[in-house]
Amino acid sequence: MSTEPVSTRAAADARRLEIRNIVGIWLGMTVLLVIFSLWVPARLMGPPASPTMRAVEQTMTIFSVLASPVAALVWAIALYSLLRWRSRSGIQPAEDGPPLRTHGPSTISWTVTSVILCVVLLIWGLAEMTTVSSAATAANPLVVNVTGQQWLWTFSYPDQGDVESDQLYLPVNRPVVFHVISKDVIHSFWVVQMGIKIDANPGQVTKTEVTPDKIGVFDVRCAELCGLRHADMETSAHVLSASDFAAWITVNGGHT
Amino acid sequence: MTAVALNEPVAHQAGGGLMRRLNIVTALIGGVTFGTVGWLIAHLLLQDGDHGSDQVVVIMLCSWAVGFMVGIGAFNGPINWLLGRDQTHEDELFLAGKDQGIGRYFRFTTDHKVVGIQYLIVTMVLFAVGGTLAMLIRTNLISPHSNFLSAQTYNALVGLHGLIMIIATIIMITGPFGNFIMPIMIGARDMAFPRLNALSLWLIVAAIPVLLSAAFLGGIPTGWVGYAPLANQAPPGMDSYSVTIIIFAISSAIAGANITTTVLTMRARGMSWNRTPIFVYGTIASVGLAIPAFPMFMASQVLLQVDRTQGGNFFVASGGGSPWLYSNLFWLMGHPEVYVILIPALAALMEITPVFARKPLFSFNAAVISIAGIVGLSVMVWAHHMYAAGWAPDLNGPFMLTTEMISVPTGLLFLVILGTLWRGRVWTTLPMMATYAMLWNFIIGGVTGIYLSDVPADYALHGSMFVTAHFHYTLMGAGLTGAIGALSYWFPKMTGRMLARGPALISFWLVQIGFNVTFMGMFAVGLAGQPRRVVTYAHLFATGNFVSTIGAYTIGIGMLFLLYGVISSWRGGEIAPANPWGAKTLEWTVPNPIPLENFLVMPVVTADAYGYGEPELPPVEPAVDPDRVPAHAGLAAEESL
Amino acid sequence: MLAKRALIGGAAVLVGGVAAVTLTGTVLAQAGATPGTTRATVNGTANTSQGVLPHAFLDLATYPDSMSGAHGGSGGAHPDWVSYGPTPNFSVPAHSLVTVTIKQYDAGETITNPYFAKPRGTVDDNMTVDGKTVTQVDPDAIGHTFTVHGLPTNQDPLFVSVPLPAVPDDAPPAAGSDYPAPRVITFSFITGGKGDYVWNCEFPCGDGYYAKFGGPMATQGYMSGDFHVV
Repeated sequence: MSTEPVSTRAAADARRLEIRNIVGIWLGMTVLLVIFSLWVPARLMGPPASPTMRAVEQTMTIFSVLASPVAALVWAIALYSLLRWRSRSGIQPAEDGPPLRTHGPSTISWTVTSVILCVVLLIWGLAEMTTVSSAATAANPLVVNVTGQQWLWTFSYPDQGDVESDQLYLPVNRPVVFHVISKDVIHSFWVVQMGIKIDANPGQVTKTEVTPDKIGVFDVRCAELCGLRHADMETSAHVLSASDFAAWITVNGGHT
Repeated sequence: MTAVALNEPVAHQAGGGLMRRLNIVTALIGGVTFGTVGWLIAHLLLQDGDHGSDQVVVIMLCSWAVGFMVGIGAFNGPINWLLGRDQTHEDELFLAGKDQGIGRYFRFTTDHKVVGIQYLIVTMVLFAVGGTLAMLIRTNLISPHSNFLSAQTYNALVGLHGLIMIIATIIMITGPFGNFIMPIMIGARDMAFPRLNALSLWLIVAAIPVLLSAAFLGGIPTGWVGYAPLANQAPPGMDSYSVTIIIFAISSAIAGANITTTVLTMRARGMSWNRTPIFVYGTIASVGLAIPAFPMFMASQVLLQVDRTQGGNFFVASGGGSPWLYSNLFWLMGHPEVYVILIPALAALMEITPVFARKPLFSFNAAVISIAGIVGLSVMVWAHHMYAAGWAPDLNGPFMLTTEMISVPTGLLFLVILGTLWRGRVWTTLPMMATYAMLWNFIIGGVTGIYLSDVPADYALHGSMFVTAHFHYTLMGAGLTGAIGALSYWFPKMTGRMLARGPALISFWLVQIGFNVTFMGMFAVGLAGQPRRVVTYAHLFATGNFVSTIGAYTIGIGMLFLLYGVISSWRGGEIAPANPWGAKTLEWTVPNPIPLENFLVMPVVTADAYGYGEPELPPVEPAVDPDRVPAHAGLAAEESL
Repeated sequence: MLAKRALIGGAAVLVGGVAAVTLTGTVLAQAGATPGTTRATVNGTANTSQGVLPHAFLDLATYPDSMSGAHGGSGGAHPDWVSYGPTPNFSVPAHSLVTVTIKQYDAGETITNPYFAKPRGTVDDNMTVDGKTVTQVDPDAIGHTFTVHGLPTNQDPLFVSVPLPAVPDDAPPAAGSDYPAPRVITFSFITGGKGDYVWNCEFPCGDGYYAKFGGPMATQGYMSGDFHVV
C-alpha cells in the first residue's frame, strides 16, 4: 500500500471525505424526515375513532418513517451534486466527468434494499388487513343497512325493528357490520374518523366493518363523485354509550 | 451548405388540383358542413324517444370528425388509390411540406418534424385550456362556500379539466419529441408510416372541438373517469366524452403502430439495442403500452354508447349489467396510462442527465430493465383503484403485491439518475433543473403512492384530495416537469433558436414552488378528510384550500412566463448552434435548420451516445450504404459540386 | 431596446393570460347562475319548543313542466322538464320558525326509498296535506319531495324532508288553469345559525334518464337549488 503514488492516495482520501459528507447530509435529512413522519401525517388525520383508523394512522407513520431514509438518500446525493459537483462556469464544463458506467455493489444493494422494503410493506399491509376486518368475525355484531342515493345517506337497523334515520347512530365498543347499497349511481360510504370506506353500488350489497371506540360526533361523507350534489352528500355519525344508543333506538320505535 | 441544398426551392407545380389546396380552413369548413348535415338528418329522423338527443349528438359529432378529416385531406391517399392514380414523386414532396413555408404546419403534412411541431402546439393549447380550468376550479375552492361557480358548472369543469390534461400529458412527450426528435435520434429519414403520422395528429385536432363541445351540451359531470352508471344518467356532454375517447384511441393506436415500427425497423446501421438511446426506449415503451391500454377505454365508451343511445344495459345493474365492468375496463386503461405519461418523461430526463453531468448514463441495462419491468407490471395493478369498490375483496391482497412491486423498478430509475449525477460535472442548465425538480417531486409522488397501495390506508384515503395531490405529484411534478425539461433541451433543435434563460428561469421557480405549495396544501386537506371533486367543503379545510389556491395562481403565472419565453425565443431568440449542449445523440449531428430528410448521408453508429469522459473512438466512417442512399443523394451531390 | 421589448412582450402575455382566465371565469360563473332567489317573509313571532322565534313564511310550487316557474312562459331550454317555482333558490332567516306552503301540481308514483314518504325534521315530524295533519303519506302516490340538507360540519345541521303527495293521474285541469287543482302541503321547521345548504327532490322524476335522476333532477334550477339560512 505504501507504494501507492501520493496523488492516488490523496484522491482516495478526497473520495472518502466526499462519501462522509454525503452520509452526513443523508443522516441529517433522515432525522428531519423521521421527526416529520412521527408528527405530521397522523396529526393531520386527526384523533382516530376506531382501531381501524388507529391502524391506518400507524401505517402512515411507519411508512413515512421507512420512506425517510430513501427520500433522504436521493435528496442528499442530489443536493451534494449541486453543492460540490456543480460546474460554476455557466457554460459547458471544459472536461467530462469520470466515465462510470456501472457499479455492481450499489446497484445490487439498491435493488435488494428496495425488494426488502417492498416485502416489509406487503407483510405489514396483509397483517393490517386481517386486523381491520376482525369486526366482521366478531360475535353479535350490530348490523346497519346503509343506503346511498343521490344525494343522501339513510340508515336502518334491521335487528332493532327497522329503525330508520338520516344520521348514523352507533354504540361505542360494539362491532358493527355495514351492508351498503345504492339506489342509483355509485356512491362511496366513508366514515372519516373511523377510517372505513366502501362503495355503495346499485344492485350489489357491499360490506365493511368497524368497532367505534370513541364517543362523539363524526363525519359521514360520500367519496365517489355522484352528480350534482355530491359535495353535500354528508351526514353525521353519532357514537353513543350502549345505554344512550338503546334509548335512541327505543325513542325511535325500535327494540334492542 | 450541402445540407441546405435539399431545401432549395424546386419550381412549384402550377395547380395540383383541389387535393393540394386542403388545409385547416377547408378542414373546419368540411367539419362544420358534415356536422350540420349530420345534425339535420339525425334531428329529422331521430328526435323522438328517450335516447333521441344522444343519438343526434353522437351522429353530429362523428360527422364533424369525418368532415374535418376529409377537409384536411386525410383521405386523399385512399381516394387516389381508388381512382387508380399513383402518387408521383412530386406528390410525395408536396405531402412532406416541401417549400411551403409556414403553411405546411396547417396542412396534412407528413414530414415528422412538421408533425412534431404540430403536436407541440396542440399540447400547449390543451395545457392552456386545461390550465385555465384548473385556475377556475381553484378559484371556486378559495373559500368553503365561495359560490363563484354553480355546482353544475363546477362538476362540468372538473371533468373537462381532467380529461383535457390527461390527453395533453399523454401526448406531451411522445407527440412533440417522439415525432420530431426520435426519428433523427435513431438516424431515420422519417417515420415508418409518414401519412399515418399526420393522420394520428389530425385525429387529435379533430377530437379537441368534440371534447370542448361537452361544455355546451351539459358538461361532463362524472369527472374524467366517466364512471357508469353516472355516465348513463349524464347529459349529452357525456356523448362528447365518448366520441373524443373513441377518436383519441384510434389516434393513439395509429401513433403506437407507427412509432414502434419506426424504432424496430429504421434504426441506423450499427444502432444495436444497447446503442439505442434511452429516450427511444421510453418512447417505444409509452406507445407500446398504449397499444393494449386504449382499446379498453374505447371499448368502455362503445358499450356506454350502446347503453346511452340504444337502451342497452351493459352498466345498468337493474338490467343485468354491472357498473364494475365499466370500472374494470376503465382502469385496465387507467393505470397503464399513468406510465404511458410517466415513462417517456423520465426517459427524457435520463437522456438529459448524462449530457449535463458530462458522464455516461449510469447502468444503461438497469434503466432498460426498469422500463420493461414497469411496463410489464403496470398492466397488472389496475384494481388498486378499486380496493374500496367491493368488486373483489379477495383480490385486494394480490393487487397490493403487484402495486408495491412496481416500486422496485421505479426505484431503480432513481439510482440510474443519481448514479449519473455521481461525481459528474453538473452543468445546471434549464433541462438539468427539471431533473432536480423531478427528483424532489417524484419522491413525494412515489412515497404517497405507496401509502395508497396499502389496502387499509387506501380505505381511509381513497376518493379524498390526498389522491388528487398524489397523482398531480407524479403526472405534473414528474411528468410535466420532464416535458418542460425536454422542451428546453430540444428547443434549439426544433426551432433553431435557444430558449431564453430569463423567463424560463422565473417560470421554473414560480411553477415548482407554486406546485409544491398547491399540492402540499391538498395533501393536508386530503389527510384531514376532504373528498375529491367537491364544489363546497367544511370550514375546517379552509386554510389548506386557500393555500392551494394561492399556489395554483403561482403556477399559472409561472406558466405564462414560460409561454412568453417560448414565443419570444421562437420568434427572435439567439440562433442556436447545431449542438449547443455538446451532446452525443444523432439529432445533434444534423444542421439547423434540419434538411427535409434529415441526413444527407445515412449515419453509421459505432458506439452508444453516452461516451462522456471516455477516449474518443476513431471517427465514424460516413459509409454510404447503397441500399440507403437518400432519395436526393444524387441531386444533392450534384448541387454540392 | 431589447429589454424594453421583452418587458412589453412579457407583460402582454401575463396580462393576456390573466384576462383570458378572468373572462372565461366570468362567463362560466354567469352561465351557471340559476335565476332568482325567493326570500321568506317574516311576519310576527311564534311560540316554539325553542322559545319565541320570528315566524317566516315561504310559498313554493311544483309544476309538471317548466312554463310556470322562473324559466318564463316558454319554459326555457327544457319546457317539458318538471320544475319548482317560483324560483330555484330560497333563503330563510336564521333562528326562526319557517312555515313553508307548497302547491303541488304534478302526478306521481311509487317512491324508491320509503324513508322519504314521511315528513322528517319538521316541527313534530308532521305536515298538513290539504288542511289535514299527517305524519306519513302513501309511498305509492308521491309526486315529489322537498328535501333540504347540507354539510353538517362547521354549520348547524339542517335536514328537512317532506313528501308531496301526487295529484291523481286522471285529474282534469282546474278552471282557468293548465294544471289540475294542486295538493297543498304546509310544514314548519326551526332554523339554526346561518349556513349554506341545498335542496333537491328525492322522488326520481327525471323520466327518460338512468334511475330517473338525470335531466331536471340533476340540473340546478329545476329539481334542485341552493337553500341559504341568512
